[in-house]
Amino acid sequence: MQKETQPVNQPNPFEKVIEFVDERVGLKTIQAKMMNEPIPGGSRWAYAFGSILLFIFILQVVTGILLMFYYVPSTDHAYDSTQYIIHEVDYGWFLLSYHFWGSSAMVVMVFAHMSQVFLWGAYKKPRELIWLVGLALFGIVMGFGFTGYLLPWDQRAYWATVVGVEIMDKTPIVGDFIARFLKGGPTPGQMTLSRFFVIHVMVLPAALMGLAGLHIFLFRKAGPAGPFRGTPEELKAKTDYFFPRQIWKDIVGMATVFLIICSLAFIEPVVLLEQATPDPGDYHPEPEWYFLFLFQLLRLKIFGGEFGQFMGAMAIPGAFMAFLAVLPFIDTKPERNIFKRPVALIGWIFIMVFILVFTWSAIINREFLD
Amino acid sequence: MSNIKLGLLVSWPTFWTGFPIKLVFALLLLAGHMHPWEGTGFFLLLLVSIPIDIWALGLCARTVFIDRLKVDPQPGLGPNLWIRWAVFSAIALPVIKIIVSEGTGVAKSVTSSIVHSFKEGLYPALGVAEQITLELVMWGTVATGVLILCLLGWLYGLGWLTQSFVKNAKSLDGTEEERASFWDGLRIPADQPLLLTAFTGAGVVLVFVFWALLPSTTPHPHEEYEFISTGPKEEKVEPKKVLKEAEKVLAKAELVVKKLEEEKGGESKDSKDQKTKEPAAKEAQPEKKK
Repeated sequence: MQKETQPVNQPNPFEKVIEFVDERVGLKTIQAKMMNEPIPGGSRWAYAFGSILLFIFILQVVTGILLMFYYVPSTDHAYDSTQYIIHEVDYGWFLLSYHFWGSSAMVVMVFAHMSQVFLWGAYKKPRELIWLVGLALFGIVMGFGFTGYLLPWDQRAYWATVVGVEIMDKTPIVGDFIARFLKGGPTPGQMTLSRFFVIHVMVLPAALMGLAGLHIFLFRKAGPAGPFRGTPEELKAKTDYFFPRQIWKDIVGMATVFLIICSLAFIEPVVLLEQATPDPGDYHPEPEWYFLFLFQLLRLKIFGGEFGQFMGAMAIPGAFMAFLAVLPFIDTKPERNIFKRPVALIGWIFIMVFILVFTWSAIINREFLD
Repeated sequence: MSNIKLGLLVSWPTFWTGFPIKLVFALLLLAGHMHPWEGTGFFLLLLVSIPIDIWALGLCARTVFIDRLKVDPQPGLGPNLWIRWAVFSAIALPVIKIIVSEGTGVAKSVTSSIVHSFKEGLYPALGVAEQITLELVMWGTVATGVLILCLLGWLYGLGWLTQSFVKNAKSLDGTEEERASFWDGLRIPADQPLLLTAFTGAGVVLVFVFWALLPSTTPHPHEEYEFISTGPKEEKVEPKKVLKEAEKVLAKAELVVKKLEEEKGGESKDSKDQKTKEPAAKEAQPEKKK
């Protein structure tokens, strides 16, 4: 009698599903390409910022959509619907607070990512376009913060917007148009709220998705810059692959940021002030924390008066952004080592100290306002 | 390798490896209405942190030893190094805290008196914002300098404590890539999807646990918030009142019906009279037709 033999290596149902998908979309090729991408010079914690940013943005979209199920973008209902989200919707307080702190985390991560690219000299040829698109993305993230801040329609939101729009109004030529377009009337009202809402949930997400896609495409085209020290041979000898070391660092980075945002949502959740009115009362208008340094700068006597305010609020920040935009085209030396670029290193330290000192000063300054 | 560099190379990734795991516990404690920075919550977090730190330190120190120092350490690196680091840090960190806070205090008071005398004597027009920034820069520079020096001292100590483990380790041959593959092969499964699925699965489980503990309503209610119902108003039903009102309605309806009947009665009488009058009227107006 012939013995029946069991076929070996017969795929199980799960493997069959994987095979089915792979045959149609090339799953295994995508996986191999992504996981086994070489990282010249080895993996680094500093390379995790880009992945973390993408992760935060995805969660901002998810929490934002959930909030939109309840939020009403009208001056009659914006405040009440936000209070409803905080007090009546199950877990609404947590979702709103997560979304609020997530926006701050995005700003911090964009700043960290830009600093890393600057210090590593990764904006230099052939990565100039990646840098420029990155700057545009920085502007979009700031735009998200500015437009989202008005939506709860409380005193803090209203007056931060009034201050922000007044600053924009000081821009030469286009300032008046931008201010009128954003406000939609002489004072912030329904038109302002509608416009900020549409920009926040439609225009900026679309722009960010498009530009982030372009950013990643350009990055993959140019390849990772790698460390700023070492010869090509040394870097090749130290090459890691995305899996396991870089993906581990990315996962740890994402988990850390996610957990920090969740903890902040618990410890400092969003609590609204009184509903927005055109009378500030006892409230001292203040922008979001990441604009505090600029706000404090404008309190200095040197920036007093119409011209001083224009210089502090528009001319200096505008010139700084313009300088960042042309940086790859004026700094054409191939040297990337930050310790051999003393001007860049000192400049970066100066900017960091300036932001830190003026933000802290703005916090201390609150005691002197009453 | 210098003691400071070795201390930094091991302690930096150790912190980032252990930190998110400790954060998971801290967040679960927060969700379970327990503060991780005081009382039982703090004690529990401290207790959980010990094995996490031992594991993270062993993992990161061994990675530095193999990758950077080209040596394979003796078994038990994590616990042995952790005990030394923990004892040293338990003494060094409180000392650093005292030095930094004392240094900052002295710098603040000296700065304040310098700036005040400057304002009173030389430049009375000094604004509040300028004064704040000036004082902050002055005492902040001193405090930052003291903090950096103390941290360098602490890192030096950590590196010095690690050096003896480096001396007792076996030397390794091969290129950096070969050594990295050897070390990765010892601890990481080669099946990429399996590993990533396991990570995702663990994350999903933790999210469910968190969601189960998370309070559904805010633990920080607004002082003046009063819920205003947006749904239809519910009215209380009082049977006696309803019956009375129904009686009233019925009585009213009866009156209306009666009135209508009366009107109808009057109307039909009128129409009868009208019908009898019509032929007479027609007869009375024959010339008009013609």
